[in-house]
Amino acid sequence: MKEFDIEKLERKNIYKVPDQLFENIQDSVMNEIKTSKKAPVFKLNWIYAAAASLALIFGMTYVFNSDQNSVEKGLTSNAGYTIHKGEPKTEGELAYETLKSDLTSVENNNQTVVNQNTGSVDAYKNENEKTITSPKAVKVVTRQDETKMNDYLDSFSNSEIAELASNSTQDVYLDLYN
Amino acid sequence: MKIKDAEIISLMQNPRTQEKGVRALMDAYQSRLYWHIRRIIVDGDLAQDTLQETFIKAYQNFHQFKNDSQLYTWLYRIATNEALQQVNKMNKMKKSDEDAEYHMQNLVADNTEGDAEEIQILLQNAIQSLPEKQKLVFMMRYYDDLPYEEISKIVDMSVGTLKTNYHYAKQKIEDFIKENYER
Repeated sequence: MKEFDIEKLERKNIYKVPDQLFENIQDSVMNEIKTSKKAPVFKLNWIYAAAASLALIFGMTYVFNSDQNSVEKGLTSNAGYTIHKGEPKTEGELAYETLKSDLTSVENNNQTVVNQNTGSVDAYKNENEKTITSPKAVKVVTRQDETKMNDYLDSFSNSEIAELASNSTQDVYLDLYN
Repeated sequence: MKIKDAEIISLMQNPRTQEKGVRALMDAYQSRLYWHIRRIIVDGDLAQDTLQETFIKAYQNFHQFKNDSQLYTWLYRIATNEALQQVNKMNKMKKSDEDAEYHMQNLVADNTEGDAEEIQILLQNAIQSLPEKQKLVFMMRYYDDLPYEEISKIVDMSVGTLKTNYHYAKQKIEDFIKENYER
């Protein structure tokens, strides 16, 4: 070729172009933009941050202490049944206390007999002090009460006493001391 | 309806309408930028990736765009830089400049439509034989008909140098075609 002027040549794009080229490019760009968009960042005031930290510290301390107290309570309640302060008692504890108080009351009743025999109030007091750890306060039967009771019983006729005795249930422990 | 640059810029500058702005920007410039990148890179898949990257960079750096220049000038600058980075990556794998030129001519052959004219293929091979700056100037002037002043902003060269480069590039291409055209 001797003469050639490039300006006279038609401007053509001769490369192969895939189908949906620009749709694919646009979709890719938009997806990239959406995923690269940063999540909104909240500016936290340092006062709020400090307050939140303190609340967390106190909260954790409270939870930790309450857990320890409950553990301690559990331990003391297992150690003995005598230190309850209004907390609900288990069935086993109640059964144990009932039995103990029954025995003590029988003991005391017996002691009152002893006291009557000996006439010593101090001995009774000493015995009573030993049982003070019992959660149920045992009702102390005084001489005055006893004489009143005797007077009251004397007022019944034999037939009335027999009727009352038939209505009442017999205390099994009475057999032990009678 | 063709959206104007001022509208695209307005949409892009508002965070609420930025995505709409990107769509409008791509609709307006995707074809011109694609062919600009494709002539530099030649490989179709790579050109597609490069154009995507160009739009993403435009979106991410739109705050740097100043209204004292044309929007397409700014976009051409990004696209040209991205395309040259890709070409440099390809050339690093080649042992010599001859290898790189041979590789580009093979790419032209592989990517050309089956019914393309021989003279058009020769023209593309001739462009690939040019030094980088002459290649850029020739393509932007010859295909995109960009004013020298705008090309100057894109490639950071004076208008005088650009004119000289275009003249040499044109001369080399014509010689290349004269030598290789068989009819």
